Order: sequence, then C-alpha cells, then structure tokens
Amino acid sequence: MSKVIDSLPSLARRSDAAYLDFVEGFREFILGKGADFEDRLNQALVDEAARRGQDWQDVEHIREFVQQQPLGCLRDRLARTQQEMKWHALVRSFDEQRAKLVGELEHWASRGPGDLLLDPEFVPPSYVNVHFHLQPGGYFKDELSGFLYHWGTKVFFRGDNDADQLHARLTRFVPTPADGRVLRILDMACSVGQSTTAFRRRFPEAEVWGVDYSAPMLKVAHRRAAMLGDEVTFKQALIEHTGFADEYFDLTFAFIVFHELPLRVIEETVREAARVTRKGGVFAVYDFARTADKSPFQRYHRWFDARHNGEPYSQDFCDCDFDGLLRCYGFRVDATPLGQRAGGSGYMQNWFAIRE
Amino acid sequence: MSETPEGGTPLADEYPVYLPDPVVDAAMRMIVELSAQLWVERERRMVTEQLLESRGLLSREDIESFKADPTQVAAIKAERARFLEDVFKELKRIPVGPTHSKSG
Ligand SMILES: C[S@@+](CC[C@H](N)C(=O)[O-])C[C@H]1O[C@@H](n2cnc3c(N)ncnc32)[C@H](O)[C@@H]1O
Repeated sequence: MSKVIDSLPSLARRSDAAYLDFVEGFREFILGKGADFEDRLNQALVDEAARRGQDWQDVEHIREFVQQQPLGCLRDRLARTQQEMKWHALVRSFDEQRAKLVGELEHWASRGPGDLLLDPEFVPPSYVNVHFHLQPGGYFKDELSGFLYHWGTKVFFRGDNDADQLHARLTRFVPTPADGRVLRILDMACSVGQSTTAFRRRFPEAEVWGVDYSAPMLKVAHRRAAMLGDEVTFKQALIEHTGFADEYFDLTFAFIVFHELPLRVIEETVREAARVTRKGGVFAVYDFARTADKSPFQRYHRWFDARHNGEPYSQDFCDCDFDGLLRCYGFRVDATPLGQRAGGSGYMQNWFAIRE
Repeated sequence: MSETPEGGTPLADEYPVYLPDPVVDAAMRMIVELSAQLWVERERRMVTEQLLESRGLLSREDIESFKADPTQVAAIKAERARFLEDVFKELKRIPVGPTHSKSG
C-alpha cells in the first residue's frame, strides 16, 4: 500500500526542471517575505484608510489605490509572470514527449487495480471553458491536462506536497459519522485523485469513488492510483449530477472545487451532495476562506486572483453565504475551523457538515 | 482570455499590461525570464562541473579550446533560438499605440 512510486512523469529536460525550480523559488520570494510586497502594500492601505478616516468598503476602491502604487503594479506584473512562466515551461516540456505520455495513459487505462469509467457522450458545460489559474487549455482541452495540472500544483505547493502530504493530512482531519460507518466515500472533483487514494488508505475496506468531468484528469488519476496499488474507481461526470443513488455515501468530500463553480452550480452541487450523502453522513469541504473580514490586501489579492489568475467565480464564492447554503439543503454545519494553511496566508477554510 | 464563463469576475486579457509604461512592463518580464535562464545555466554548470571533477575527466582548458563540429554548431544555434524566444517573446506582446491600457 505505501510503495514509494513517483507517478509524476519526468520533464523532457533537466533544464525544464531547473526552470520550474526557479519559478517555485521566485513565487515564494514575491508572495512571501522576500520581496515583502504583501505587508508593505497592506500597511499602505491601512495608512490610507486612516488618512481618509474610513475603513475600506468596496474592493473596487482598494483596487484603485493599489494600482496607483508603482509597487502594486510591479507586484501584479510579477505575480502574473511567474504563473505564465510555469505553464510555458510545462507545456513545452510535455509537448516534447507528448506521444510517449499519451501512450502511457492509454497503457494504464485498462489496467487495475481500480477502474476508470469514462463517458464518451460527455459534453462539457460552457462554464468550464476557463483557463483556471491560467493553465493552457484549462482542465480538459489538452489530452495531457492532468499531467500539466499535477506538475503545476507541485510548483504551487512549493514542494510541500510531493508525496501528497497535504492530501493525506486534509483527508485525515475529516470526521467520521457518529455511528462510525464508512463504507462508501465520494471525492467530488477529484482531479488527479490524490484525495481519493488518501481516503482509500485511511479506510482500506471502503468503496471509494472519484468524480470529475475531465477525462484527461481522470486518466492521470487512474494511472496514478493503479501505480500506487490503490483500488478506487474514477468516473466521468459533473459533480452537480453524479448519477449515484440517493444516500449512497457515508462520506462526501470536496477539496478546492467550489470556488471554481458559478453560483448556480455551487448551489446545485450542495443539493447533489445532500442527495447522495446518507442521513448522519458527513460532507467535508475545504475551500477558499471568506475574504470580507480579511485584511485589505487579502481582499485585493482575492480580486486579483479572480481576474488575473483565471478564477472568475472565486470572488462570488468567497462572498456567498456557504454555511447558509449547506443548512438550507439539510446539513448541520459544525463550526470547527482548522485554520489550515496550504500555500498562502490562511486562505483556506473547512466546512464539516452532517447530513440531517 | 477569450473564453466566456458563466457570470463571475470578468477575466483580464491574455497579455495584460500592469506597469504604466508597456515597454517597462515588458522589460520587467524579460528580467525575470533572464533570471530564470541564468539559474538554469548555473544549475547545469554546477552539476556538470561536479560530475566532471568527481570523475577526473576534464580540465577548464578543454572547455576553452573546444571547437564545435557542424552538427554541434546547429544544435547550439537551435538552443540559442529557444533562448531568444523565451526571453524576448515579450517584445511581441508590447501593444502598439502611445497610451497605456490599464490592466483593470
Ligand atoms: C482545483 S481541482 C480540485 C482539486 C482536487 N479536489 C484535489 O483533491 O486535488 C478542480 C477540479 O474540479 C474539476 N471540476 C470543476 N468543475 C467540475 C464539475 N462541475 N463537475 C466535475 N468536476 C469538476 C476539474 O476538472 C478539476 O479537476
């Protein structure tokens, strides 16, 4: 079960890895204490609010102020550039070995353990036509989207998730239902399946499903799980219409997907989670934290990330009453914030909800 | 970005300009790109020198007096084209026109 296998394919050249290593370090430098943009710009915002004798209300005013500062413009330029550089290097590196990698995915598609259930009739809805975090082709237009995504997140997590430590930790924190019964688990929007396999390891007897609409993601997820020897099933479907029977799951999970859904789909997905999770079952969500009560710079960053980092729906998610939505569809929300950190300053929050 | 999402925050263009002067904006990008290229070279040289040294294979003099054959010359030229594209692709993205269109 705990074989040490690296399911991430190698990059085409050593220089690609060195280039990405630079981007990883540069990203840390500009987002953290190295360039110290955040604290300095936030202080400028706090000082300006004091000068005006009024707290910042509208994020539009924050934006105007930050973009008048040369330092703010420079920070935005660099934040965008490091993201573009990452994808530029990854796409080129995978292009150079495209045929081989596509062959790899085909090779594993029919091998176990575990199953890969693709839907040849699947038509992606229009709202997924976004290059999320500027990934070229988004989540599904490139047959190698899954490998690109997996490598991209490796850089994003600054090397801290190379052995899926983050996924192991986040799934471990999820509470079990009060009666202790965990026979079936659903990982909604599983992408490359790191949470899916982590659940199977935590509950080795359980039937574990990963659902995602992107076939390229699921192929990578299946290959990875099969290589690791983790018996899970990946199914191509929308998380707002999973196709499972009512109350099929004891535990339903969604890690950082809600902020990538339009409000309409957020609501439909909560409704679907309520439908497929049995009474007393747990629906565990990790996602972006509300930003309304955060520092003015963090509010600015949320807006910037939405507009300039391909996260068009994230602002709406962060402003919505997600607790209220969960309650509205029959969940009891236990307010037990973990104060998780995973690649930014307190940007993530958890909701552990019980189906009533 | 030319895609049409369902509502939400409107997305920036594919190549937004952040600094007041688009030429300075491109210069900034090129500086970061150059730094990446420099790091790639330095990393490779460190690895190469360590390997060569540990195997007692090469002296500095060998590098100084190296003469590339035609195949090697072609390979170096191809690598140079790749390098130029990486660093100076920014030049193609500088918008035409005297004014700065805000990134928004
Ligand atoms: C940021 S990733 C989620 C990360 C993942 N849960 C993990 O554990 O690493 C977003 C994923 O959601 C999928 N996705 C987005 N909207 C979806 C939808 N409506 N139905 C199914 N999958 C969706 C995308 O294909 C992508 O793989």
